[in-house]
Amino acid sequence: MKLRTLIAASTATAAMTFAGMATAETMRIGITQNNVGVDSYQTTYEKAFIAAAEANEDVEVVVLDAGGDVARQIAQMEDLIQQEVDAIIIWPTNGEAVIPAVRKAHQAGIPVVVTNSNIAEAGFAFVASFSGPDNITQGIRSAEIMCDRFKDLGIEDEAKVVHITGQPGYTTAIERAKGFNDRLPEVCPNVEQIDEQPGDWNREKSQQVMEAFLVKYDDIDGVYSGDDNMGVGAMNAAIAAGREGITFVGATNFAVGYEAMAAGTYWGSIYQSPVDDAEAALKTAIDLLNGEELPFLNYFDTPKITQDNMGDYTKPVF
Amino acid sequence: MAEFTKQDIGKLLAKQGILIAFAVFIVGFTIANPKFLTIDNFENVVRSSAILGVMALGVTFVVISGNLDLSVGSMMSFSTIVVLDLHDKLGPTLAIPAMFAMTLCLGAFIGILVGYLKLNSLIVTLGMLSAIHGLTLTYSGGKNIDIADKEGTWFAIFGQGNVMGIQTPILIFIALAALLGIILAKTPFGRKVYAVGGNGTAATFSGIRRARVVFLCYIMSAFCVATAGLIQASRSMGSQNTVGQGLELEVLAAVILGGASLLGGSGTIFKTVIGVLILGFIQNGLLLVGLDFSVQYVVTWVIIILAVWLDIAAKRGKLMSPIA
Repeated sequence: MKLRTLIAASTATAAMTFAGMATAETMRIGITQNNVGVDSYQTTYEKAFIAAAEANEDVEVVVLDAGGDVARQIAQMEDLIQQEVDAIIIWPTNGEAVIPAVRKAHQAGIPVVVTNSNIAEAGFAFVASFSGPDNITQGIRSAEIMCDRFKDLGIEDEAKVVHITGQPGYTTAIERAKGFNDRLPEVCPNVEQIDEQPGDWNREKSQQVMEAFLVKYDDIDGVYSGDDNMGVGAMNAAIAAGREGITFVGATNFAVGYEAMAAGTYWGSIYQSPVDDAEAALKTAIDLLNGEELPFLNYFDTPKITQDNMGDYTKPVF
Repeated sequence: MAEFTKQDIGKLLAKQGILIAFAVFIVGFTIANPKFLTIDNFENVVRSSAILGVMALGVTFVVISGNLDLSVGSMMSFSTIVVLDLHDKLGPTLAIPAMFAMTLCLGAFIGILVGYLKLNSLIVTLGMLSAIHGLTLTYSGGKNIDIADKEGTWFAIFGQGNVMGIQTPILIFIALAALLGIILAKTPFGRKVYAVGGNGTAATFSGIRRARVVFLCYIMSAFCVATAGLIQASRSMGSQNTVGQGLELEVLAAVILGGASLLGGSGTIFKTVIGVLILGFIQNGLLLVGLDFSVQYVVTWVIIILAVWLDIAAKRGKLMSPIA
């Protein structure tokens, strides 16, 4: 009995010493991602994150992936808390369900950085900082790209727009739609949005939605899609139906969108780099651990990209 | 004479309750938006239903044989990604047979597990649903695959071409439905499928090689999935890894809506086609009516229940009855 206690105690001490030594030299940062491999953005994000961590000698990272599964992500949060990492970065699988796990990390004294998509407001008190794109600003910028194009074409007083949103219930989809819907009437008050339907981030679904729009409306001047993948689907529907002169604007510039812009069939988008996203998340965590003061919402910039300025940007890798 | 005709119509209605439901929806949607009933729109709906439809044809065989196939959605993603990737590496002439071979291997694997090892098809195909998704992601590294030179290839004909004014996806769907319809209704193999699904033990004692029939049903399902993947790839010339995600349930819904029994032993290709078209027209009709998407989800469910009820009511000969 005594022996066992002794062994247990000495093991614990050894572990603590080791942990203490580790902290003195390197920062241990754990990340639990949403669903690596499900799309090119997340795949590129992970690669960029690991590359950025390897480039920094002071950082040691534990990279985990929840595979889109909320329960698994919560278990991973608990694992990271058990491992006593210095900071946790989380790409939430669900903005509500992960809050208890984030709170647990907060209570254990581990700062939590939320990356890419924020958790619900109820959990803000437990989050040290959010690092990611500002989706409302992205929606606003898309509305401005659309309106500027209508002004160039001289149709800003009569143009009609349809809107294809992302998956219903996703924060990114809701915020982009809100930014666009609020901003468009401010910059182009006479442009009318005639319909809005979800395309579920899916190119095929978006193409079907657009086909129905083309049947329903004889006059469509602009299409705003929540990302370029859906935008290209909508564009393909218009091309197949022989409807010309439609201005397509998206967000999250994908390689297909970039190519379509180069071909002159797609007008503009928002340039969002998964590499910037990953590097910003890691930098936010490091800055926090170095005791720097950071704003709660730590956005990285996502500029406008159109046929006019696309030469300034390289083709997205995803 | 009049009595006889009335009975005749009654019998016809009893057999084709799902057709009545179909007709009711078409009339309803047309009243809501006259553009619903235009040739252009019909062509659109049938064309975009073709992918789901081709998959449903194969699953009809599996369901009639008394099994399930929940892996078709992720298998379709797999076929689409593979054929797009190989297109740029090997050229379309080699990419298409290579993709068919790989997809048929997956079908054969499921066929062996369910047919010869007699494992539960729900468990096997549910497992394959995520296993194949993982395989696809490993294959592509998670990246979207796009054909680099979209103009300089004849690969577009399967999804975007047309023969004598009819679009190829529709033609492929019709041709495959006719072929599989004949196989199911008119050949000894077709009758064995019904026999195995109706009463497997009796079929075995009648000398039918049950394992082989089940195995072949999964091969046919995989063939249909590969065809659907080909249409999908050719239609968009590029794809996400998740393109077929969730389609397995829509396919199953179409097959069951068409009247096939989940317990096996009954169903026809023709009715599956009607089931597919009903789902396609509901989706399109609701978009044209312009309901809010959250309402659409509910209305879709209501319409499906209504269709199933009309089908059963026609069989019973009255709208409400304690016994089927």
